[in-house]
Amino acid sequence: MDSTRIITITSGKGGVGKTTTTANLGTALAMQGKKVAVLDADIGLRNLDAVMGLENRIVYDLVDVVEGQCRLKQALIKDKRQPELYLLPAAQTRDKNAVNSIQMEELCQQLRQDFDFVIIDSPAGIEQGFRNAIVGANEIIIVANPEMASVRDADRIIGLVEAAGKPEPRLILNRLRADMVKRGDMMAITDVLEVLNIDLVGIVPEDESIIIATNKGEPAVYDKRSRAGRAYLDTAQRLLGEEVPLDEVLDSPSLLERLRRLIRFGPALSEKPARSQSS
Amino acid sequence: MGVFEFMVGRKKPTPSELAKERLKVVLVHDRLKVSPELLELIKSELLSVLSRRLDIDEQHMQITMTREGGLDTLMANAPIKRQKVTFEWDPPSKDVIRGKVHVEEDQQ
Ligand SMILES: Nc1ncnc2c1ncn2[C@@H]1O[C@H](COP(=O)(O)OP(=O)(O)OP(=O)(O)O)[C@@H](O)[C@H]1O
Ligand SMILES: [Mg+2]
Repeated sequence: MDSTRIITITSGKGGVGKTTTTANLGTALAMQGKKVAVLDADIGLRNLDAVMGLENRIVYDLVDVVEGQCRLKQALIKDKRQPELYLLPAAQTRDKNAVNSIQMEELCQQLRQDFDFVIIDSPAGIEQGFRNAIVGANEIIIVANPEMASVRDADRIIGLVEAAGKPEPRLILNRLRADMVKRGDMMAITDVLEVLNIDLVGIVPEDESIIIATNKGEPAVYDKRSRAGRAYLDTAQRLLGEEVPLDEVLDSPSLLERLRRLIRFGPALSEKPARSQSS
Repeated sequence: MGVFEFMVGRKKPTPSELAKERLKVVLVHDRLKVSPELLELIKSELLSVLSRRLDIDEQHMQITMTREGGLDTLMANAPIKRQKVTFEWDPPSKDVIRGKVHVEEDQQ
């Protein structure tokens, strides 16, 4: 499909919530009636299957497809609950260099034919695996936690995404703790946005329900009581171009208003002015 | 909180302010790959230019690169020694204005 949106979820730093984000956004978009493929590009460290509860159904994987051992359709695993959601799992026993950028780009082109959304779970780091994950994407979402190392790596990624000629990435801030922000112990959303000079597309609070959901193999978006799950549902709505206000325990309404304006809805725009000129 | 307030420890920053100010500096260094030697050189060159007109307190001069308002910015903090600056005009001539700058240490 011409309009297929291929969105890579990446971060630089490991363990900030890329896989969690991929599973939840993919599921949320499928719940909205979209045809979605989630793709685990973390070759050698297969994880997305388990977060989605599909680990027992894997026969073929991404490397098998790329190497022509099977057809794409044979490797795609249908989700348990969403009829239009499919997973392409990572290879577990292969080296992360088993795939090259050209192969990944071809794979994305193939996936285009059947899906509205392809969400790619990038490995941590800035090496070949990361480059493979972004090569076929037309949108990039960076996941960061509100702490030094994660924000620093996010900026590194912003630079690399720019250098790769991709549209400006957008940010999901994950594991925010409002209580810590209030005490001045954790950077607030506005601080992170100011430092990174990037548009926000979602905020996900620190939430135990994510761990519970992972343990059950059911993304948190199914759990009505999960704040993080709701945040992912909202984020998916924003990706679909809807204006969804932030649910955050940010006390000041003016701050909320300022943040609301920082959120860009719908597909990423490529014609945004260069970051050096924006302020 | 500005970067220099942070550097001279004028305010006790919260951990979040600290993270933010540290990040603003480190991100610019990550991007521009400016070595400490180069920064030192820029500082001494700035100092020599400024010192032609003002008595800069070299000990407390600071220079840093940081991100302000989305822009990577060189910030220099050059405190001036307390001094009295006077200017004495030469008799007016046709097209040039000349004079002498007198600088005295302020006594207070
Ligand atoms: N909002 C959240 N609240 C609580 N725990 C979270 C949240 N987001 C992620 N986690 C937990 O953090 C851990 C890392 O998350 P995840 O695996 O999604 O990160 P990742 O970026 O994919 O890591 P890697 O770089 O290793 O691929 C997991 O145990 C996950 O359950
Ligand atoms: Mg992961």
